[in-house]
Amino acid sequence: MTRLVHAELLKLRTTRLLLWLALMIVALIGLIVSLNGGERSFDDLARASSQRDLITTAAISALIALILGIVVSTAEYAHGTIGGTFLVSPVRERVVAAKVFAAMLSGAVLAAFAWALALALAAVWLAVRSVPSHLLSHDIFTLLLGLLAASALTGAIGVGFGAILRRQTAAIVVALVWLLVGEPLMAVAGKQRYAPGHVVVAVAEAGHQASGGDLLAFWPALLLGLGYAALFAVAGTLVVVRSDVT
Amino acid sequence: MAAAPPIEVRGLTKRFGSTTAVADLSFAIPPGRITGFLGPNGAGKTTTLRALLGLVRPTSGDALVNGVPYRKLADPARTVGAVLEASSFHPGRSGRNHLRVLAAAAAIPQARVGEVLEDVELAGAGGRRVGGYSLGMRQRLSVAGALLGSPRLLVLDEPANGLDPEGIRWLRNFLRSFADEGGTVFISSHVLAEVAQLADEVVIIHRSRLIAHEPLETLTARAAGGTVVRSPDAERLRQGLAEAGVEAAAGDGGSLRVAAEPEQVGEVAAAAGVVLHELRREEASLEEVFLELTAEEPK
Repeated sequence: MTRLVHAELLKLRTTRLLLWLALMIVALIGLIVSLNGGERSFDDLARASSQRDLITTAAISALIALILGIVVSTAEYAHGTIGGTFLVSPVRERVVAAKVFAAMLSGAVLAAFAWALALALAAVWLAVRSVPSHLLSHDIFTLLLGLLAASALTGAIGVGFGAILRRQTAAIVVALVWLLVGEPLMAVAGKQRYAPGHVVVAVAEAGHQASGGDLLAFWPALLLGLGYAALFAVAGTLVVVRSDVT
Repeated sequence: MAAAPPIEVRGLTKRFGSTTAVADLSFAIPPGRITGFLGPNGAGKTTTLRALLGLVRPTSGDALVNGVPYRKLADPARTVGAVLEASSFHPGRSGRNHLRVLAAAAAIPQARVGEVLEDVELAGAGGRRVGGYSLGMRQRLSVAGALLGSPRLLVLDEPANGLDPEGIRWLRNFLRSFADEGGTVFISSHVLAEVAQLADEVVIIHRSRLIAHEPLETLTARAAGGTVVRSPDAERLRQGLAEAGVEAAAGDGGSLRVAAEPEQVGEVAAAAGVVLHELRREEASLEEVFLELTAEEPK
Protein backbone atom coordinates (compact mmCIF):
# COMPACT_ATOMS: atom_id res chain seq x y z
CA MET A 1 0.00 0.00 0.00
CA THR A 2 2.85 2.39 0.89
CA ARG A 3 4.41 1.87 -2.54
CA LEU A 4 1.13 2.73 -4.25
CA VAL A 5 0.78 5.96 -2.24
CA HIS A 6 4.41 6.72 -3.10
CA ALA A 7 3.61 6.12 -6.81
CA GLU A 8 0.57 8.41 -6.63
CA LEU A 9 2.59 11.17 -4.99
CA LEU A 10 5.28 10.70 -7.64
CA LYS A 11 2.61 11.08 -10.34
CA LEU A 12 1.63 14.41 -8.77
CA ARG A 13 5.21 15.60 -8.48
CA THR A 14 6.09 14.74 -12.08
CA THR A 15 3.43 16.89 -13.77
CA ARG A 16 2.62 20.60 -13.44
CA LEU A 17 -0.78 20.06 -11.81
CA LEU A 18 0.33 21.09 -8.30
CA LEU A 19 2.14 24.10 -9.71
CA TRP A 20 -0.98 25.30 -11.51
CA LEU A 21 -3.16 24.74 -8.46
CA ALA A 22 -0.67 26.62 -6.28
CA LEU A 23 -0.72 29.49 -8.77
CA MET A 24 -4.52 29.55 -8.57
CA ILE A 25 -4.24 29.81 -4.80
CA VAL A 26 -1.70 32.64 -5.10
CA ALA A 27 -3.95 34.54 -7.51
CA LEU A 28 -7.17 34.10 -5.52
CA ILE A 29 -5.73 34.71 -2.07
CA GLY A 30 -3.56 37.55 -3.35
CA LEU A 31 -6.62 39.24 -4.80
CA ILE A 32 -8.99 38.74 -1.87
CA VAL A 33 -6.53 39.56 0.93
CA SER A 34 -5.26 42.61 -0.92
CA LEU A 35 -8.77 43.92 -1.61
CA ASN A 36 -9.75 43.49 2.04
CA GLY A 37 -6.44 44.65 3.44
CA GLY A 38 -6.50 47.73 1.28
CA GLU A 39 -10.14 48.74 1.52
CA ARG A 40 -11.25 47.99 5.06
CA SER A 41 -11.10 50.86 7.51
CA PHE A 42 -8.30 51.07 10.08
CA ASP A 43 -10.68 50.34 12.96
CA ASP A 44 -12.22 47.39 11.19
CA LEU A 45 -8.84 45.93 10.30
CA ALA A 46 -7.54 46.42 13.83
CA ARG A 47 -10.10 43.88 15.18
CA ALA A 48 -8.76 40.38 15.80
CA SER A 49 -11.86 38.88 14.16
CA SER A 50 -11.26 40.89 10.97
CA GLN A 51 -7.67 39.76 10.82
CA ARG A 52 -8.88 36.21 11.30
CA ASP A 53 -11.29 36.73 8.40
CA LEU A 54 -8.35 37.66 6.19
CA ILE A 55 -6.65 34.35 6.94
CA THR A 56 -9.92 32.47 6.50
CA THR A 57 -9.52 33.37 2.82
CA ALA A 58 -7.13 30.39 2.77
CA ALA A 59 -10.23 28.16 2.90
CA ILE A 60 -10.20 28.51 -0.89
CA SER A 61 -7.60 25.70 -0.65
CA ALA A 62 -10.46 23.30 0.18
CA LEU A 63 -12.04 24.03 -3.21
CA ILE A 64 -8.67 23.69 -4.95
CA ALA A 65 -8.11 20.38 -3.11
CA LEU A 66 -11.50 19.18 -4.37
CA ILE A 67 -10.38 19.87 -7.94
CA LEU A 68 -7.05 18.19 -7.17
CA GLY A 69 -8.84 15.06 -5.93
CA ILE A 70 -11.05 14.95 -9.01
CA VAL A 71 -8.05 15.28 -11.30
CA VAL A 72 -6.09 12.62 -9.39
CA SER A 73 -8.95 10.21 -10.14
CA THR A 74 -9.92 11.27 -13.65
CA ALA A 75 -6.63 12.31 -15.31
CA GLU A 76 -5.63 8.67 -15.68
CA TYR A 77 -8.80 7.99 -17.63
CA ALA A 78 -8.34 11.15 -19.70
CA HIS A 79 -4.78 10.20 -20.67
CA GLY A 80 -5.37 6.45 -20.87
CA THR A 81 -2.74 5.70 -18.23
CA ILE A 82 -5.26 3.90 -16.02
CA GLY A 83 -4.64 0.66 -17.95
CA GLY A 84 -0.93 0.78 -17.13
CA THR A 85 -1.72 1.59 -13.49
CA PHE A 86 -4.03 -1.44 -13.18
CA LEU A 87 -1.48 -3.69 -14.91
CA VAL A 88 1.01 -2.95 -12.16
CA SER A 89 -1.59 -3.03 -9.37
CA PRO A 90 -4.56 -5.10 -10.55
CA VAL A 91 -6.28 -4.94 -7.16
CA ARG A 92 -8.11 -1.71 -7.98
CA GLU A 93 -9.42 -1.07 -4.45
CA ARG A 94 -5.83 -0.44 -3.39
CA VAL A 95 -5.27 1.99 -6.25
CA VAL A 96 -8.31 4.07 -5.26
CA ALA A 97 -7.27 3.97 -1.59
CA ALA A 98 -3.76 5.15 -2.55
CA LYS A 99 -5.26 7.99 -4.58
CA VAL A 100 -7.43 8.99 -1.58
CA PHE A 101 -4.39 9.12 0.71
CA ALA A 102 -2.29 11.00 -1.84
CA ALA A 103 -5.05 13.56 -2.45
CA MET A 104 -5.64 14.04 1.30
CA LEU A 105 -1.94 14.61 1.87
CA SER A 106 -1.60 16.96 -1.11
CA GLY A 107 -4.78 18.79 -0.09
CA ALA A 108 -3.30 19.37 3.36
CA VAL A 109 -0.07 20.66 1.81
CA LEU A 110 -2.06 23.09 -0.36
CA ALA A 111 -3.96 24.23 2.74
CA ALA A 112 -0.74 24.88 4.66
CA PHE A 113 0.61 26.82 1.68
CA ALA A 114 -2.59 28.86 1.40
CA TRP A 115 -2.60 29.62 5.13
CA ALA A 116 1.05 30.71 5.14
CA LEU A 117 0.47 32.84 2.05
CA ALA A 118 -2.62 34.53 3.50
CA LEU A 119 -0.76 35.13 6.76
CA ALA A 120 2.23 36.69 4.99
CA LEU A 121 0.04 38.93 2.81
CA ALA A 122 -2.07 40.00 5.76
CA ALA A 123 1.08 40.81 7.76
CA VAL A 124 2.33 42.96 4.89
CA TRP A 125 -0.97 44.90 4.68
CA LEU A 126 -1.13 45.42 8.42
CA ALA A 127 2.46 46.68 8.45
CA VAL A 128 1.86 48.94 5.47
CA ARG A 129 -1.19 50.48 7.13
CA SER A 130 0.44 50.45 10.60
CA VAL A 131 -2.41 48.38 12.05
CA PRO A 132 -1.55 46.45 15.26
CA SER A 133 -1.31 42.74 14.43
CA HIS A 134 -3.21 39.93 16.13
CA LEU A 135 -1.94 37.44 13.57
CA LEU A 136 0.13 35.34 15.94
CA SER A 137 -2.88 34.45 18.07
CA HIS A 138 -4.10 31.01 19.10
CA ASP A 139 -7.12 31.45 16.80
CA ILE A 140 -5.01 31.77 13.69
CA PHE A 141 -3.21 28.51 14.48
CA THR A 142 -6.48 26.73 15.24
CA LEU A 143 -7.61 27.94 11.86
CA LEU A 144 -4.61 26.17 10.27
CA LEU A 145 -5.78 22.86 11.75
CA GLY A 146 -9.28 23.44 10.41
CA LEU A 147 -7.93 24.23 6.95
CA LEU A 148 -5.71 21.16 6.93
CA ALA A 149 -8.64 18.93 7.86
CA ALA A 150 -11.02 20.58 5.37
CA SER A 151 -8.66 20.32 2.42
CA ALA A 152 -7.77 16.74 3.24
CA LEU A 153 -11.50 15.96 3.32
CA THR A 154 -12.23 17.64 -0.01
CA GLY A 155 -9.21 15.90 -1.56
CA ALA A 156 -10.69 12.55 -0.54
CA ILE A 157 -14.21 13.53 -1.64
CA GLY A 158 -12.77 14.67 -5.00
CA VAL A 159 -11.09 11.31 -5.61
CA GLY A 160 -14.27 9.41 -4.79
CA PHE A 161 -16.48 11.68 -6.84
CA GLY A 162 -14.02 11.64 -9.77
CA ALA A 163 -13.93 7.84 -9.61
CA ILE A 164 -17.72 7.70 -9.85
CA LEU A 165 -17.88 9.86 -13.00
CA ARG A 166 -14.40 9.15 -14.44
CA ARG A 167 -14.76 12.15 -16.76
CA GLN A 168 -12.67 15.10 -15.70
CA THR A 169 -14.57 18.08 -17.06
CA ALA A 170 -17.95 16.60 -16.21
CA ALA A 171 -16.85 15.86 -12.64
CA ILE A 172 -15.50 19.37 -12.06
CA VAL A 173 -18.56 21.01 -13.60
CA VAL A 174 -21.01 18.87 -11.62
CA ALA A 175 -19.12 19.58 -8.38
CA LEU A 176 -19.16 23.35 -9.00
CA VAL A 177 -22.82 23.33 -10.00
CA TRP A 178 -23.60 21.47 -6.80
CA LEU A 179 -21.76 24.06 -4.72
CA LEU A 180 -23.33 27.01 -6.53
CA VAL A 181 -26.86 25.68 -7.04
CA GLY A 182 -27.38 22.45 -5.08
CA GLU A 183 -26.32 23.74 -1.68
CA PRO A 184 -28.34 26.98 -1.91
CA LEU A 185 -31.36 24.83 -2.80
CA MET A 186 -30.77 22.82 0.36
CA ALA A 187 -30.83 26.14 2.21
CA VAL A 188 -34.42 26.59 1.04
CA ALA A 189 -35.27 23.40 2.90
CA GLY A 190 -33.24 24.63 5.86
CA LYS A 191 -30.90 21.63 5.69
CA GLN A 192 -27.80 23.30 4.23
CA ARG A 193 -25.74 22.82 7.38
CA TYR A 194 -25.61 19.09 6.54
CA ALA A 195 -24.64 19.63 2.89
CA PRO A 196 -21.04 18.65 2.02
CA GLY A 197 -19.92 22.17 1.10
CA HIS A 198 -21.25 23.70 4.32
CA VAL A 199 -19.79 20.86 6.36
CA VAL A 200 -16.36 21.50 4.86
CA VAL A 201 -16.64 25.24 5.57
CA ALA A 202 -17.57 24.43 9.18
CA VAL A 203 -14.45 22.27 9.45
CA ALA A 204 -12.26 24.90 7.76
CA GLU A 205 -13.40 27.65 10.10
CA ALA A 206 -12.60 25.43 13.03
CA GLY A 207 -15.76 26.31 14.91
CA HIS A 208 -15.46 30.09 14.68
CA GLN A 209 -18.11 30.57 12.02
CA ALA A 210 -16.52 33.72 10.65
CA SER A 211 -18.97 33.60 7.77
CA GLY A 212 -21.80 33.97 10.24
CA GLY A 213 -23.76 31.23 8.53
CA ASP A 214 -25.75 28.44 10.06
CA LEU A 215 -22.99 25.86 10.34
CA LEU A 216 -22.37 22.77 12.41
CA ALA A 217 -19.84 22.89 15.24
CA PHE A 218 -16.32 21.67 14.37
CA TRP A 219 -16.45 18.11 15.70
CA PRO A 220 -19.87 17.12 14.31
CA ALA A 221 -18.82 18.73 11.03
CA LEU A 222 -15.56 16.78 10.98
CA LEU A 223 -17.38 13.51 11.66
CA LEU A 224 -19.98 14.17 8.98
CA GLY A 225 -17.21 15.26 6.58
CA LEU A 226 -15.38 11.99 7.18
CA GLY A 227 -18.66 10.20 6.52
CA TYR A 228 -19.05 11.98 3.18
CA ALA A 229 -15.43 11.22 2.24
CA ALA A 230 -15.92 7.53 3.10
CA LEU A 231 -19.22 7.39 1.20
CA PHE A 232 -17.74 8.89 -1.98
CA ALA A 233 -14.58 6.79 -1.71
CA VAL A 234 -16.55 3.53 -1.33
CA ALA A 235 -18.97 4.40 -4.14
CA GLY A 236 -16.06 5.42 -6.40
CA THR A 237 -14.20 2.22 -5.60
CA LEU A 238 -17.25 0.10 -6.46
CA VAL A 239 -17.59 1.85 -9.82
CA VAL A 240 -13.88 1.53 -10.62
CA VAL A 241 -13.69 -2.14 -9.64
CA ARG A 242 -16.71 -3.06 -11.76
CA SER A 243 -15.86 -1.03 -14.84
CA ASP A 244 -14.00 -2.29 -17.91
CA VAL A 245 -10.91 -0.45 -19.08
CA THR A 246 -11.33 -0.48 -22.84
CA MET B 1 1.13 -31.91 -12.59
CA ALA B 2 2.32 -30.10 -15.69
CA ALA B 3 2.94 -26.39 -15.39
CA ALA B 4 0.07 -24.21 -16.58
CA PRO B 5 0.58 -22.63 -20.02
CA PRO B 6 1.70 -18.98 -19.92
CA ILE B 7 -1.61 -17.97 -21.45
CA GLU B 8 -4.83 -19.92 -21.49
CA VAL B 9 -8.23 -18.72 -22.62
CA ARG B 10 -11.17 -21.01 -21.81
CA GLY B 11 -14.62 -20.41 -23.22
CA LEU B 12 -14.09 -16.66 -23.05
CA THR B 13 -17.13 -14.58 -23.93
CA LYS B 14 -17.36 -10.83 -23.54
CA ARG B 15 -20.40 -8.76 -24.39
CA PHE B 16 -20.59 -4.95 -24.26
CA GLY B 17 -24.31 -4.31 -24.10
CA SER B 18 -25.80 -6.06 -27.10
CA THR B 19 -22.44 -6.31 -28.91
CA THR B 20 -20.53 -9.57 -28.57
CA ALA B 21 -16.81 -8.74 -28.74
CA VAL B 22 -15.56 -12.28 -28.05
CA ALA B 23 -17.61 -15.47 -28.31
CA ASP B 24 -16.65 -18.71 -26.58
CA LEU B 25 -12.95 -18.37 -27.38
CA SER B 26 -10.54 -21.08 -26.23
CA PHE B 27 -6.82 -21.50 -26.85
CA ALA B 28 -3.57 -21.88 -24.96
CA ILE B 29 -0.15 -20.71 -26.02
CA PRO B 30 3.06 -22.60 -25.31
CA PRO B 31 6.06 -21.20 -23.42
CA GLY B 32 9.26 -20.02 -25.12
CA ARG B 33 7.64 -19.22 -28.43
CA ILE B 34 6.28 -16.22 -30.29
CA THR B 35 2.59 -16.59 -30.96
CA GLY B 36 0.89 -14.16 -33.29
CA PHE B 37 -2.70 -13.20 -32.50
CA LEU B 38 -4.33 -12.28 -35.77
CA GLY B 39 -7.63 -10.94 -36.88
CA PRO B 40 -9.00 -7.95 -38.73
CA ASN B 41 -9.76 -4.74 -36.86
CA GLY B 42 -12.77 -5.34 -34.64
CA ALA B 43 -12.33 -9.11 -34.49
CA GLY B 44 -12.01 -9.09 -30.69
CA LYS B 45 -8.23 -9.22 -30.27
CA THR B 46 -7.95 -6.21 -27.99
CA THR B 47 -10.88 -7.34 -25.85
CA THR B 48 -9.30 -10.79 -25.47
CA LEU B 49 -5.95 -9.29 -24.46
CA ARG B 50 -7.61 -6.90 -22.04
CA ALA B 51 -9.56 -9.74 -20.46
CA LEU B 52 -6.28 -11.61 -20.14
CA LEU B 53 -4.68 -8.62 -18.42
CA GLY B 54 -7.55 -8.13 -15.98
CA LEU B 55 -8.70 -4.83 -17.53
CA VAL B 56 -11.98 -6.21 -18.85
CA ARG B 57 -14.26 -8.56 -16.89
CA PRO B 58 -15.30 -11.60 -18.94
CA THR B 59 -19.04 -12.11 -19.32
CA SER B 60 -18.26 -15.81 -19.00
CA GLY B 61 -15.24 -18.08 -19.25
CA ASP B 62 -11.69 -17.56 -18.08
CA ALA B 63 -8.59 -15.78 -19.29
CA LEU B 64 -5.60 -17.05 -17.34
CA VAL B 65 -1.93 -16.15 -17.01
CA ASN B 66 0.19 -19.00 -15.65
CA GLY B 67 -3.05 -20.70 -14.66
CA VAL B 68 -4.56 -17.87 -12.62
CA PRO B 69 -6.58 -14.73 -13.39
CA TYR B 70 -4.32 -11.67 -13.76
CA ARG B 71 -5.77 -10.08 -10.64
CA LYS B 72 -4.55 -13.05 -8.57
CA LEU B 73 -0.93 -12.86 -9.77
CA ALA B 74 1.37 -12.36 -6.81
CA ASP B 75 3.69 -10.00 -8.66
CA PRO B 76 2.14 -9.02 -12.00
CA ALA B 77 4.88 -6.64 -13.18
CA ARG B 78 7.49 -9.35 -12.74
CA THR B 79 5.29 -11.96 -14.44
CA VAL B 80 3.83 -10.24 -17.49
CA GLY B 81 5.00 -7.25 -19.50
CA ALA B 82 2.19 -5.69 -21.50
CA VAL B 83 2.25 -3.14 -24.27
CA LEU B 84 -1.14 -1.50 -24.81
CA GLU B 85 -1.79 1.44 -27.14
CA ALA B 86 0.99 3.92 -27.80
CA SER B 87 -0.98 6.87 -26.52
CA SER B 88 -1.24 5.77 -22.90
CA PHE B 89 1.01 8.41 -21.38
CA HIS B 90 0.59 11.69 -19.59
CA PRO B 91 1.97 14.11 -22.21
CA GLY B 92 3.43 16.41 -19.56
CA ARG B 93 5.48 13.70 -17.84
CA SER B 94 8.94 12.73 -19.04
CA GLY B 95 9.59 9.20 -20.29
CA ARG B 96 11.90 8.54 -17.36
CA ASN B 97 9.33 9.77 -14.84
CA HIS B 98 6.63 7.65 -16.46
CA LEU B 99 8.81 4.60 -15.79
CA ARG B 100 9.71 5.81 -12.29
CA VAL B 101 6.00 5.89 -11.42
CA LEU B 102 5.49 2.32 -12.66
CA ALA B 103 8.63 1.15 -10.86
CA ALA B 104 7.48 2.78 -7.62
CA ALA B 105 4.06 1.11 -7.83
CA ALA B 106 5.62 -2.30 -8.51
CA ALA B 107 8.40 -1.90 -5.91
CA ILE B 108 11.03 -2.27 -8.63
CA PRO B 109 14.37 -0.56 -7.88
CA GLN B 110 14.63 2.85 -9.59
CA ALA B 111 17.99 1.81 -11.10
CA ARG B 112 16.05 -0.51 -13.38
CA VAL B 113 14.49 2.55 -15.10
CA GLY B 114 17.85 3.54 -16.61
CA GLU B 115 18.49 -0.03 -17.72
CA VAL B 116 15.22 -0.44 -19.63
CA LEU B 117 15.63 3.01 -21.24
CA GLU B 118 19.01 1.74 -22.52
CA ASP B 119 17.40 -1.51 -23.67
CA VAL B 120 14.91 0.33 -25.88
CA GLU B 121 17.48 2.90 -27.02
CA LEU B 122 15.67 5.82 -25.38
CA ALA B 123 18.28 6.77 -22.76
CA GLY B 124 18.99 10.10 -24.47
CA ALA B 125 15.32 11.11 -24.62
CA GLY B 126 14.32 9.90 -21.15
CA GLY B 127 14.29 13.40 -19.68
CA ARG B 128 12.01 14.85 -22.34
CA ARG B 129 8.24 15.12 -22.00
CA VAL B 130 6.34 12.31 -23.70
CA GLY B 131 4.15 14.90 -25.46
CA GLY B 132 7.11 15.62 -27.72
CA TYR B 133 7.85 11.96 -28.52
CA SER B 134 7.27 10.45 -31.95
CA LEU B 135 4.94 7.47 -32.21
CA GLY B 136 7.95 5.18 -32.48
CA MET B 137 9.49 6.61 -29.31
CA ARG B 138 6.19 6.18 -27.44
CA GLN B 139 6.06 2.58 -28.57
CA ARG B 140 9.60 2.01 -27.31
CA LEU B 141 8.64 3.62 -24.01
CA SER B 142 5.71 1.20 -23.79
CA VAL B 143 8.09 -1.68 -24.33
CA ALA B 144 10.43 -0.24 -21.68
CA GLY B 145 7.52 -0.20 -19.22
CA ALA B 146 6.73 -3.81 -20.05
CA LEU B 147 10.34 -4.82 -19.38
CA LEU B 148 10.68 -3.08 -16.00
CA GLY B 149 9.95 -6.19 -13.96
CA SER B 150 12.05 -8.48 -16.23
CA PRO B 151 9.01 -10.68 -16.98
CA ARG B 152 9.21 -13.94 -18.91
CA LEU B 153 5.99 -13.25 -20.79
CA LEU B 154 5.27 -10.30 -23.07
CA VAL B 155 1.80 -9.43 -24.32
CA LEU B 156 1.70 -6.81 -27.07
CA ASP B 157 -1.38 -5.28 -28.66
CA GLU B 158 -0.71 -4.07 -32.22
CA PRO B 159 2.77 -2.84 -31.26
CA ALA B 160 3.76 -2.09 -34.87
CA ASN B 161 0.84 0.30 -35.45
CA GLY B 162 2.27 3.57 -36.71
CA LEU B 163 5.89 2.42 -36.49
CA ASP B 164 8.21 3.30 -39.32
CA PRO B 165 10.11 0.47 -41.07
CA GLU B 166 13.15 1.00 -38.85
CA GLY B 167 10.98 0.81 -35.75
CA ILE B 168 9.33 -2.37 -36.97
CA ARG B 169 12.72 -3.95 -37.63
CA TRP B 170 13.90 -2.92 -34.18
CA LEU B 171 10.80 -4.44 -32.57
CA ARG B 172 11.13 -7.65 -34.56
CA ASN B 173 14.79 -8.11 -33.59
CA PHE B 174 14.02 -7.25 -30.03
CA LEU B 175 11.18 -9.78 -29.69
CA ARG B 176 13.18 -12.46 -31.49
CA SER B 177 16.06 -12.15 -29.04
CA PHE B 178 13.60 -12.08 -26.12
CA ALA B 179 12.12 -15.38 -27.32
CA ASP B 180 15.56 -16.84 -28.07
CA GLU B 181 16.41 -16.31 -24.41
CA GLY B 182 13.41 -18.41 -23.44
CA GLY B 183 10.76 -15.71 -23.14
CA THR B 184 7.20 -16.15 -24.35
CA VAL B 185 5.63 -13.55 -26.63
CA PHE B 186 1.96 -13.11 -27.51
CA ILE B 187 1.57 -10.40 -30.11
CA SER B 188 -1.58 -9.19 -31.80
CA SER B 189 -1.76 -7.70 -35.26
CA HIS B 190 -4.17 -7.22 -38.11
CA VAL B 191 -1.35 -7.44 -40.64
CA LEU B 192 -0.25 -10.99 -41.43
CA ALA B 193 2.98 -9.91 -43.14
CA GLU B 194 4.08 -8.20 -39.93
CA VAL B 195 3.71 -11.35 -37.88
CA ALA B 196 4.81 -13.73 -40.64
CA GLN B 197 8.46 -12.79 -40.18
CA LEU B 198 8.32 -13.23 -36.44
CA ALA B 199 5.81 -15.73 -35.15
CA ASP B 200 6.29 -19.44 -34.59
CA GLU B 201 2.58 -20.03 -34.50
CA VAL B 202 -0.60 -18.08 -34.92
CA VAL B 203 -4.02 -17.81 -33.33
CA ILE B 204 -6.56 -16.30 -35.69
CA ILE B 205 -9.91 -14.89 -34.71
CA HIS B 206 -12.57 -13.49 -36.95
CA ARG B 207 -15.92 -12.03 -35.98
CA SER B 208 -15.24 -12.76 -32.30
CA ARG B 209 -14.49 -16.47 -32.87
CA LEU B 210 -11.40 -18.64 -33.17
CA ILE B 211 -10.89 -19.81 -36.75
CA ALA B 212 -7.37 -21.22 -36.61
CA HIS B 213 -4.57 -22.00 -34.18
CA GLU B 214 -1.61 -23.56 -35.93
CA PRO B 215 2.09 -23.23 -36.74
CA LEU B 216 2.88 -20.40 -39.11
CA GLU B 217 4.23 -22.73 -41.83
CA THR B 218 0.93 -24.57 -42.02
CA LEU B 219 -0.94 -21.33 -42.34
CA THR B 220 1.26 -19.80 -45.01
CA ALA B 221 1.26 -23.05 -46.98
CA ARG B 222 -2.51 -22.98 -46.91
CA ALA B 223 -2.65 -19.35 -47.87
CA ALA B 224 0.10 -19.44 -50.50
CA GLY B 225 -0.48 -16.79 -53.09
CA GLY B 226 0.84 -16.69 -56.63
CA THR B 227 3.60 -14.69 -58.23
CA VAL B 228 3.69 -11.11 -59.43
CA VAL B 229 5.85 -10.49 -62.46
CA ARG B 230 6.46 -7.28 -64.40
CA SER B 231 7.94 -7.10 -67.84
CA PRO B 232 8.11 -4.58 -70.71
CA ASP B 233 6.96 -7.49 -72.87
CA ALA B 234 4.16 -8.79 -70.68
CA GLU B 235 2.01 -10.08 -73.48
CA ARG B 236 4.74 -12.37 -74.83
CA LEU B 237 5.40 -13.63 -71.32
CA ARG B 238 1.71 -14.32 -70.85
CA GLN B 239 1.68 -16.40 -74.03
CA GLY B 240 4.77 -18.28 -72.90
CA LEU B 241 3.12 -19.01 -69.57
CA ALA B 242 -0.08 -20.12 -71.31
CA GLU B 243 1.96 -22.55 -73.41
CA ALA B 244 3.43 -23.93 -70.20
CA GLY B 245 -0.11 -24.42 -68.93
CA VAL B 246 0.02 -21.59 -66.38
CA GLU B 247 -2.72 -18.97 -66.12
CA ALA B 248 -1.74 -15.32 -65.86
CA ALA B 249 -3.92 -12.27 -65.43
CA ALA B 250 -2.81 -8.85 -66.65
CA GLY B 251 -2.39 -6.17 -63.96
CA ASP B 252 -1.28 -2.53 -64.05
CA GLY B 253 1.84 -1.24 -65.83
CA GLY B 254 2.90 -4.44 -67.56
CA SER B 255 2.51 -6.66 -64.51
CA LEU B 256 1.00 -10.11 -64.44
CA ARG B 257 -0.42 -12.11 -61.55
CA VAL B 258 0.52 -15.71 -62.13
CA ALA B 259 -0.80 -18.82 -60.42
CA ALA B 260 2.60 -20.47 -60.13
CA GLU B 261 5.82 -20.37 -58.11
CA PRO B 262 8.33 -17.56 -58.95
CA GLU B 263 10.90 -20.18 -59.99
CA GLN B 264 8.62 -21.55 -62.70
CA VAL B 265 7.73 -18.08 -63.96
CA GLY B 266 11.42 -17.13 -64.12
CA GLU B 267 12.25 -20.26 -66.07
CA VAL B 268 9.45 -19.62 -68.59
CA ALA B 269 10.64 -16.02 -69.01
CA ALA B 270 14.24 -17.12 -69.56
CA ALA B 271 13.19 -19.74 -72.12
CA ALA B 272 11.12 -17.14 -73.97
CA GLY B 273 13.89 -14.54 -73.77
CA VAL B 274 11.63 -12.02 -72.04
CA VAL B 275 13.21 -9.28 -69.90
CA LEU B 276 11.80 -9.06 -66.37
CA HIS B 277 11.69 -5.91 -64.23
CA GLU B 278 10.16 -7.55 -61.22
CA LEU B 279 9.58 -11.07 -59.98
CA ARG B 280 8.21 -11.75 -56.51
CA ARG B 281 6.01 -14.05 -54.56
CA GLU B 282 2.64 -12.47 -53.93
CA GLU B 283 2.15 -12.18 -50.18
CA ALA B 284 -1.10 -13.55 -49.00
CA SER B 285 -3.01 -10.81 -47.25
CA LEU B 286 -4.74 -11.54 -44.03
CA GLU B 287 -8.04 -10.96 -45.78
CA GLU B 288 -7.22 -13.69 -48.30
CA VAL B 289 -6.25 -16.06 -45.53
CA PHE B 290 -9.53 -15.30 -43.84
CA LEU B 291 -11.49 -15.91 -46.98
CA GLU B 292 -9.76 -19.23 -47.38
CA LEU B 293 -10.11 -20.23 -43.75
CA THR B 294 -13.69 -19.11 -43.39
CA ALA B 295 -14.58 -20.84 -46.64
CA GLU B 296 -13.34 -24.09 -45.09
CA GLU B 297 -15.32 -23.60 -41.91
CA PRO B 298 -18.51 -25.60 -42.01
CA LYS B 299 -21.33 -23.30 -40.95
